[in-house]
Amino acid sequence: MPKGRAIHREKPKERFSYDPRKVLARLEEYGRRILQDIKSGKNPHFDIPMRGLSNVYFDESKGLIRMGEKLSRRYFLNVAHARKFMQTLIIMAYVKRLVSERKHASLREAYYANKHTIPGTKENTFEDQSESDPIIEDLERMMGVLREEMHITADRRGYIYGDIVIRDGEDEFNASRLGMGGWAVPGTVEHIQFPEINVDYALVVETAAMADRLIEEKFPKKENALIIATQGQASRGVRRLIHRLHYEEGLPIIVFTDGDPYGWYIYSTIKQGSINLAYLSDKLATPEARFVGMTMGDIRRYGLENVTEKLKGIPPNKKGGPTGDYKRIIEEMNYPWFQNREWQGQLKMALRMGVRIEQQALANKSLEFVAKRYLPEKINNGDLLP
Amino acid sequence: MAEASQLFKEFKIQSVSEFFRRNAAMLGYTGKVRSLTTLVHEAVTNALDACEEAGIPPYVRVEIEELGSEHYRVVIEDNGPGIPEKYISHVFGKMLAGTKAHRNIQSRGQQGLGISGAVMFAQITSGKATRVVTSTGGEIVEAWVKIDVDRNEGKIIKKERHPNPKGWRGTRIELEVKNVRYIRSRQGVYWYLKLTAIANPHAHIELVEPDGRLIVFPRSSEEIPDPPVEMKPHPRGVLTDDVYRMAKKTRRATVKRFLVGEFSRISDKKVDELIEYIAALRLIKTEKDHKVREQLYERLVKGEVKAVLRSFRGYTKVLKNVARIMEKPPEKLSWHEAEEIVTAFKYMKFLAPPTHGLRPIGEENITKGLRGILKPEFVTAVTRPPKVYSGGIPFQVEVGIAYGGEIPSGFDVFRYANRVPLLFDAGSCVTTIAARSIEWKRYKVDDPDRTPLILMVNVISVHVPYTGTGKQSIANVEEIYNEIRLAIMDAARRLQTYLSGKHRRLHQAKRKKTFQRYVPEIAKALSVLTGEPEERVSEYFISFIENHFSAKEGTAEVSENA
Repeated sequence: MPKGRAIHREKPKERFSYDPRKVLARLEEYGRRILQDIKSGKNPHFDIPMRGLSNVYFDESKGLIRMGEKLSRRYFLNVAHARKFMQTLIIMAYVKRLVSERKHASLREAYYANKHTIPGTKENTFEDQSESDPIIEDLERMMGVLREEMHITADRRGYIYGDIVIRDGEDEFNASRLGMGGWAVPGTVEHIQFPEINVDYALVVETAAMADRLIEEKFPKKENALIIATQGQASRGVRRLIHRLHYEEGLPIIVFTDGDPYGWYIYSTIKQGSINLAYLSDKLATPEARFVGMTMGDIRRYGLENVTEKLKGIPPNKKGGPTGDYKRIIEEMNYPWFQNREWQGQLKMALRMGVRIEQQALANKSLEFVAKRYLPEKINNGDLLP
Repeated sequence: MAEASQLFKEFKIQSVSEFFRRNAAMLGYTGKVRSLTTLVHEAVTNALDACEEAGIPPYVRVEIEELGSEHYRVVIEDNGPGIPEKYISHVFGKMLAGTKAHRNIQSRGQQGLGISGAVMFAQITSGKATRVVTSTGGEIVEAWVKIDVDRNEGKIIKKERHPNPKGWRGTRIELEVKNVRYIRSRQGVYWYLKLTAIANPHAHIELVEPDGRLIVFPRSSEEIPDPPVEMKPHPRGVLTDDVYRMAKKTRRATVKRFLVGEFSRISDKKVDELIEYIAALRLIKTEKDHKVREQLYERLVKGEVKAVLRSFRGYTKVLKNVARIMEKPPEKLSWHEAEEIVTAFKYMKFLAPPTHGLRPIGEENITKGLRGILKPEFVTAVTRPPKVYSGGIPFQVEVGIAYGGEIPSGFDVFRYANRVPLLFDAGSCVTTIAARSIEWKRYKVDDPDRTPLILMVNVISVHVPYTGTGKQSIANVEEIYNEIRLAIMDAARRLQTYLSGKHRRLHQAKRKKTFQRYVPEIAKALSVLTGEPEERVSEYFISFIENHFSAKEGTAEVSENA
């Protein structure tokens, strides 16, 4: 372990806290309340925090996107609500069974498990997965529990590689001894435990190709780092894993994406949370994450002018603009969490230069350049964006 | 000359039948289907009129028997007062006589030929006499009637008397006709009788079709309408010819007495006014300047007759001349003078004509008729108060709406003039035009073509303004058009109230079902969540829904009554 490094492991701030009984208690409580209403002749309802941009705000002090206080009330005795009211209860009952039986179901399984024709009608309980998915999100917001805690999982995406020991149910293994492919992050990481952590930080990498490059160059071993490949936008499982590794294990989080609006948005989601899942920011976001690259400054610094690519769309000063990438950059410039000198500088530079730079453009120098020089140099010098 | 007199002779011999043939269209005897309908119409009209005049609830039976190709025997039987023997030839034989054509009275008859036309039609197509069986309660008289075209007279060619042990009373007419066809079309006898039955709910009408099928349109009202009364003509509704002809016939001593006595709304004072107007009109004619003349006419319209008179020198002399006309015996009234009187009438103001002679079917009876024949789900009717068109002709409009029930989908207009169904020329008829002008969507009839809806319109008047000679279509007179529209809108509003109530009830039932069908799913889920038995949870929800909707219905009814 080289000395004088800017990055090292910190003390944990949160503790492993998964408890299925909490979810069950919540479900029963809501069920009882509905029953109480109907018995006393009241129109039973659920209060569900509203989704969408109108009910989202940025919490400056915590550095998180958070959900507001607005509620929408879902009644039984309302023609527009009745169906959803029924669907909500069906999913609640299903979750109760799942959790008490210690089974997990994917979103699609949850859909099929509960889809059937309502007796005496031609109507299905759920016509489409697009009906069941929002109900599950509603439950998360209403009860303040994660989908994962309700044992409903999303498709897995993303993998990790590095010297940490993982306990997943009855299995226990080291994530650096599973071959070059690493360990695929499951949809639910709530129950995962980390008996042993031998890395100094976690490097979150946007593309699988770059993660594979780093693994092949033995970067994790040499730099004592855990590689987390998001494979595009980070899935909930990966985001939750990043959050847990940071808060429960004290691992610093460093994000490495393409130098384009999409890459920066991936970073923004990991760091502050997303608008869609604003109600989960407490559990998914990692405001302390930092950004290593690609930055606009890298282009000149490493002489990558030849391997940039033009931004798509019309620049803001041209007729019809801004569109495409330009529009996206301008939107990002207005994000509250990008209101700092460094990011405003980056984004302005991107607009001025009109180019984007991919992680893999570094291969222009040499294949090992990224692992041997670019990353160690920037990370160890603390040359990171907030 | 010999040739000419020969021609003239032949012409004379054939005159009545020639007249009939030439005017077949006007008389309703065109087309094979329509001729048969007209024939039946004449006989049924006679039967209904006779019954009404005698205060008997009509029973009319029509039988159509097929004798060969386009060859039928038509039998019409009624339970009317019967025809005294000596009048038989008169009733069935005399063309253009004894009808109501010259009277100012609301009548079913339209053609002025009546049953004698039917006898004539039978005679010229089949050559057969019409068999009449009638009794006023005593002996039954059986007579075969033909028309003597030379003399324009009915001729009984054979007569028999029969005893009447059962005391039968009524009239049975049998006509044998050729060149006609029986079809169950919208212009045919079936349709005619059906529509007649609707407009005459006090009548029991039966039809035996050629294939032996019996169709009954039962009586749905016991109320026999009063026969219409003759009304004196209104000055604004007469032509020069009317005045001239009436003056020749009257027994009054002077023109003044004639005018006051035989017209409505003319008083002694009005005659003095008339004198002034006629004098003023004569004087204005003498004015040479075209513009001044126009101005004077305008002032006359405004009623400044005295001022107009004074603007001419020596007007008193003219006044005296005109006043002399009024003291003449009426038969000495010249055509020119009659014309002057009618022209003056147009400038004068009169009270609206009396309307006591009009006999609407009435809202209640229209409702009964539509309900009895069409078996609809909803019926409403509107009888508007009498109005006047072209200044002096009283008329009245009635409208009925029948919706749903056994009515097939589609919008239909049943047109009537003085209770008589109009089966032809629907497109040009004011009733059709008015019905089409209604924005049905406003009345919850979103797609009239697919709505089971029948609109009945009856226009009643002493002079129904028909278009053309067929008398099957009413002219688009603005006053009548407006009245029909108002009547339809009034009735349509009631339909709308009914439909929105119906829609609301349907809507509520649908809503209730929506909630009910989710109960089993909800109960199952809640049972899993809470451990409460499924049936119990289900009961809670079902009784909650019931309570909610029964409370709601209560309030809905209250608001409807309010």
